[in-house]
Amino acid sequence: MTKNKFTIALAGNANVGKSVIFNQLTGLHQHIGNWPGKTIEKAEGTLHFKGYTIDIIDLPGIYSLSTFSIEELISREYIAVERPDLVINIVDASVLERNLFFSLQLLELETPMIVALNQMDMAKKKGIIFDHEKLQKLLGIPVIPTVAISGIGIYDLLEKSVEVIEGREKIKPVKAKYGKEIEERIEKIVRMVEKTQFRYPARWVAIKLLEGDEEVEKEILKINPKIVSAAEKLAIEIEEIHGHSCSTVITSERYEVASKIAKETQEITPQIKPPMRERIHILTTNRILGYPIMAISLLSIFYSIFTFGDYTSGLLGDSLFGLKPIFEGIFGIGVVGKLVWGGVMEGIIGGVTVALPYIIPFYFILYFLEDSGYLSRIAFLMDNLMHKIGLHGKAFIPVMLGFGCNVPGCLGCRIMETTRERLLAAFVVTLVPCAATTAIILGLVGAFVGVQWALALYFINLLIIFILGRIAFKTLPGEPTALIMEMSDYRVPHMKTVLKQTWFRLWEFIKMAFPLIIVGSLVIKLADVMNLLKPIADILSPVTVTWLGLPSITGIALVFGVLRKELTLIMLATLLEVEPMNLAQVMTPMHMIVFTLVAMLYIPCIATIAALVKEFGWKKAWLITVFEIGFAILVGGIAFRLLMLAY
Amino acid sequence: MELRLTELRDGESGIINSIKVSRGGGQGKRRRARRGWGFRKRLEDMGLTPGTRVRVVKSAPFHGPLEVYVRGSRLAIGRGMAERIFVEVKR
Repeated sequence: MTKNKFTIALAGNANVGKSVIFNQLTGLHQHIGNWPGKTIEKAEGTLHFKGYTIDIIDLPGIYSLSTFSIEELISREYIAVERPDLVINIVDASVLERNLFFSLQLLELETPMIVALNQMDMAKKKGIIFDHEKLQKLLGIPVIPTVAISGIGIYDLLEKSVEVIEGREKIKPVKAKYGKEIEERIEKIVRMVEKTQFRYPARWVAIKLLEGDEEVEKEILKINPKIVSAAEKLAIEIEEIHGHSCSTVITSERYEVASKIAKETQEITPQIKPPMRERIHILTTNRILGYPIMAISLLSIFYSIFTFGDYTSGLLGDSLFGLKPIFEGIFGIGVVGKLVWGGVMEGIIGGVTVALPYIIPFYFILYFLEDSGYLSRIAFLMDNLMHKIGLHGKAFIPVMLGFGCNVPGCLGCRIMETTRERLLAAFVVTLVPCAATTAIILGLVGAFVGVQWALALYFINLLIIFILGRIAFKTLPGEPTALIMEMSDYRVPHMKTVLKQTWFRLWEFIKMAFPLIIVGSLVIKLADVMNLLKPIADILSPVTVTWLGLPSITGIALVFGVLRKELTLIMLATLLEVEPMNLAQVMTPMHMIVFTLVAMLYIPCIATIAALVKEFGWKKAWLITVFEIGFAILVGGIAFRLLMLAY
Repeated sequence: MELRLTELRDGESGIINSIKVSRGGGQGKRRRARRGWGFRKRLEDMGLTPGTRVRVVKSAPFHGPLEVYVRGSRLAIGRGMAERIFVEVKR
């Protein structure tokens, strides 16, 4: 082979240390993007080894290759269509059976593959001893024992990969054999499929047709509908033999093969004393103690993030605003100067003071909790509550992050499995009052109207989340949500991986959001310079004055608020030409309540819109934005009329 | 006897008989009774296939999800799904 550029894909279950291996292999040469046309993260990296340039693709962590989630679809399409030169299947040695179930499916895709038997240290602690030579023989492919977090076995893994790709090491992968009655029928379908030149291996297609895989059925229907109906008939025959649906029978038999291999290659000595990680698990999921432990951990996380964020944000803001004279010196204080400073620079400052002090720690915490395993315990405890708003336990984390800042909340929705769940969770997140919104509620209504009114608004917000969440849950098409999740053993997160994950995702976000923030800020500054603010306020007055009963100029504050929500109050005061503490002179309590209600419910800020665009594309982002603005105005108007009646 | 997974006591284990997802109507002529198909597949993909031993460790309070132990690993299963898993238990 003369080629010196290869592609290797990493595949495996979630929580097997796949991202650690990815980081060990690629170091800082990473690129995080999205799969074409999909909103699933795609991590790529390059490395150089023995004169070769090797591209590493980190496939999503999944348990099967069916059509349950987009991740599973993407993975199988990638392996079958893009045909990487090699797949490294990362297997958690401490949960061998479940992992081998996935390995067998990968092998059915007839792709060149080797296995990294990872977390050997964990397996050893659990009293598991391996015969990895035998595993190698039974699977017909090389198996390399690794401990990714300490870098053990990574070099061997690469070396073996190159040997297999170069063809120096021949592999003879096994095929999982099903029962005779199934094999006969697979054979019949294979003969039909072979003639179609379909891009997937014929045996794989045959198995998937018997399992009733919708995607494969759809594709084969286009080529030859006879195959699908023949497969359906054969599947019914199998169902009649076994008394279970055909897909159940095939899945069971595949698991039997995995179970047999696992039993033959590992020896487990049960442990007498429950280890530390087990005791922590019992404590953190305890019926009574679990909740206070969770509350304390989350509150202290929030508290430290806000203390840190507030301090750093202020520091960054002060020092960046200190640059103003320098800019004025260069660009003058004319129109150009105003646009450069007030448009571009203030936009950047706005982005920096939100992104760095808040988004970094939030991201870090998210990955830390996920890697350590605590995230799944929180999901376990909160599942029931989240079901009330049509979501399940896993959604608690993004929603909780949303109370701090909606941006990491929206980005955190990717821990949900299906697109539907992601969209639902993100929608709920954008309705959650973030720290800046809370500042408006407390600073305006809380300070001037009364704390009980501020609390009432907060309560109304939560009620609206509950109602809209349920409506969205009922109206969005797709299967209902349920929690089915592995709670893998607690472990100490690999810090370097967590930091890299944080960094590369932050960078992705900056690339996406900053242009939007700067353009938005420039447009508004331009309107200001051209004396368009008053006319704009007049144009908005049917909404602001007639429908919402607010002073006309507040429309501008609401528009500005999309850019810098935390500045809404200061802006309001400036526009009304009073000191912030004297707002009560120009706004009635009713004005304040209606204004706050609208500011609370409409789309949080431009950075959140950017996050939505990044995760769901322009169309859905606009849909949510337009809906929430409309809804906020509707609710504001109704509140105005109700308050009028009451007074 | 056959029980729903949710009816098991903490620490009790049983062998899975079946997962019932299609509400009424039986199998249907063509296999288009797809309601809940994805979630049954998901449960089976996670190792909860008929004939498998599953142990209920505990359930989260306020009718929360179940913590179960199956095929050497620990899973959390939402109560709604767990109710549809029927297991054979010796009592």
